[in-house]
Amino acid sequence: MALVRKIIAQSTVDGPGNRTAIFLQGCNIRCAYCHNPETQAMQDAEAKEMSVAEVMTEVRKGIPFIRGITVSGGECMLQAEFLTKLFQAVKALAEEVHHPLTCLIDSNGTVPFARHPQLMEVCDGVMLDVKAWDSETYHLLTQARNDEVVKENLAWLLQHHLLTEVRIVCLPKRVDVEVILQNIAKIFDSIGEKAPARLLRFRPHGVIGELANHPMPSDEQMAEYAALAASLGLTATVK
Amino acid sequence: MADIYSIVTSQKLSYEQKVVALAHAAEDTLSVLPMPERTRFYFDKGVICNLNEGNAPYRPRYIMPDYEKAVKQGVKFLELDPPQDFDELLTFLQVLYRHVPSITTYPVFLGDLDKLIEPFIKDLSDEEVKRKLRNFFIYLDRTITDSFCHANLGPEATRAGRLILDVDRELEQAVPNLTLKYDPAITPDDFAEQAIYTSLCVANPAICNDVLNAKTYDRYGISSCYNILPIAGGSYTLTRLVLPRLAEMTKDKEEFLTKLLPEAMKCMADYMSARIRFIVEKSGFFESHFLAKERFVERDRFVAMFGLVGLAEAANHFAPEGKKYGSDAEADEIAEQIMDAITAFVDAYECPYCEIANHRLLLHAQVGIDTDYGITSGIRIPVGDEPESIYDHLRHSSRFHRYIPTGCSDILPFDITGKQNPAAVLDIVKGAFSLGQKYIAFYASDSDLVRITGYLVKRSEIEKWNKGQAVLQNTTQLGAPTYASAHLANRKVRGV
Repeated sequence: MALVRKIIAQSTVDGPGNRTAIFLQGCNIRCAYCHNPETQAMQDAEAKEMSVAEVMTEVRKGIPFIRGITVSGGECMLQAEFLTKLFQAVKALAEEVHHPLTCLIDSNGTVPFARHPQLMEVCDGVMLDVKAWDSETYHLLTQARNDEVVKENLAWLLQHHLLTEVRIVCLPKRVDVEVILQNIAKIFDSIGEKAPARLLRFRPHGVIGELANHPMPSDEQMAEYAALAASLGLTATVK
Repeated sequence: MADIYSIVTSQKLSYEQKVVALAHAAEDTLSVLPMPERTRFYFDKGVICNLNEGNAPYRPRYIMPDYEKAVKQGVKFLELDPPQDFDELLTFLQVLYRHVPSITTYPVFLGDLDKLIEPFIKDLSDEEVKRKLRNFFIYLDRTITDSFCHANLGPEATRAGRLILDVDRELEQAVPNLTLKYDPAITPDDFAEQAIYTSLCVANPAICNDVLNAKTYDRYGISSCYNILPIAGGSYTLTRLVLPRLAEMTKDKEEFLTKLLPEAMKCMADYMSARIRFIVEKSGFFESHFLAKERFVERDRFVAMFGLVGLAEAANHFAPEGKKYGSDAEADEIAEQIMDAITAFVDAYECPYCEIANHRLLLHAQVGIDTDYGITSGIRIPVGDEPESIYDHLRHSSRFHRYIPTGCSDILPFDITGKQNPAAVLDIVKGAFSLGQKYIAFYASDSDLVRITGYLVKRSEIEKWNKGQAVLQNTTQLGAPTYASAHLANRKVRGV
């Protein structure tokens, strides 16, 4: 069983192609810019306990219109065992209906993927958030101190060809975007593998707390980040 | 005569529109087609409708010239030699289009434009090609002032096809209407995605299921409002049966299915046969027109379209209270019974001069006209009754598209976020086509160009027309009242 916050049957913003997106309840960090803070608590009256079979009933409705599923959160890796069973069920369904389906994870990278080999066997890729590079910056943004795990995950996923994309929420002063870009470029070079980077513009929509009314970074600022990424040899898209 | 006077003195009609309206009025003074009493009855009740085809047809309704052949061999009547370079090709086509007749007096089919152009652009840069194409498209849009005019692309990706899409997106015009023939085994994803992206910007092109539609004839094209017709042929006529009006005349479903529907269909089929005979035997079109004489069309490649409109309302009429076509099995089953009855009739009825269709009339999901109130296009789900899930919507259409060989479609407005992920929209198209959907069109919820029932109109032009100003496009005049009466602004917007 997993605690499911929401299932979106048709999502065009959670990975490549058209996907069914499943949002699990509960997160282990507290990002100041979180745009769905209602999914942070480990328990919530609006979240629903669902079995793999119940989630699969929803996934089935998307055949043959979806390319796969994306599980997000909250932090979905906190329910890794459920993910393993869900992804196994999705792969079985793909065989049954002769329609390829991919299983992606959208994660903050604070749970080591290397410790879940069975899950990684049925997972087609991870969209990894890199919140900040500097440990203090990370702590100020997330109230957490698990950033070393994120960096280890970044390298591990890259080595195992499971890094679908790196996501960076761009919020000047609060996020060290330039440092992140420089360091992921370094890691890409040292491993000799690459993954696309997605530069997400901070948007106050849904945000609560100190950043609720914070302005979005300007087009010029986003263009500067994109230019830096390009100069570092990264394939980056701005959204 | 009062009617003619009002045409002559109108300030809302352009000069060209007056000339066409006057020709129509003149044609309608004749009565050369037999009109038995029961046929007259169904016409008067609006059950059978000839869509203003006129009382004495002097050309087929839709003509699909073999442009490829014309480009290869030249056109004697127009004193056109085969074009040798891109400039000559564009001039050649401009002249030829000007002389292709149809019900609208404008050409409804412009050919497989990408294939026509591709061999002529090898030595030109993208910029040169686009500059010439831009002028060509502006010429088409400003002289073919009727968006029931269609050019085809694909299924192969070509450089010409990509450049046509680029120019189409930049110009944002109602003409030409474009359709991409899509076959997942032939059309590369990036080309299909470019087409979808273009469509989410300017409501054009629509996407046609090439795998299914290619089975209809040896060579097919899409013309006018997504009509699937043989190339080097066309359609003599499109007459339609307005199902809800017939349903309202009956006391129950039994009477509808066993008495009135068969009688009305027989009247309509006989009427269509009479039109076909008049065009072939009396009008002299196939003996005298250069398209026939130089064999850019063949008489035996013409079909006749048996149109249907308002399946939804007819099914709802007989369904239990509150049960609706599109979301309730009871209503959908009744709709299937109606379609089965209609299919059985056309399969058994022999019509003249339709060799390529095995002497059968072919079903068409007619899109409706501006004076249809409360009647939904063809076999579509009424605006407002669309299922919550786009997947259920498309599953439903696939179930009913299988009945219709000469054109049926769905039009889906998409949330603008779709523009950022055309691949996601392509996934939906692939899914729908694999289930049997034959044709699908999109536009973005914020686009100026919108698809009315199949043709394109600019919302800004509708506003002008509604204020009483003359507008260039004939189809704006049709689109303005339809946009309002069919509540198209309320179509369910898809996306996240």
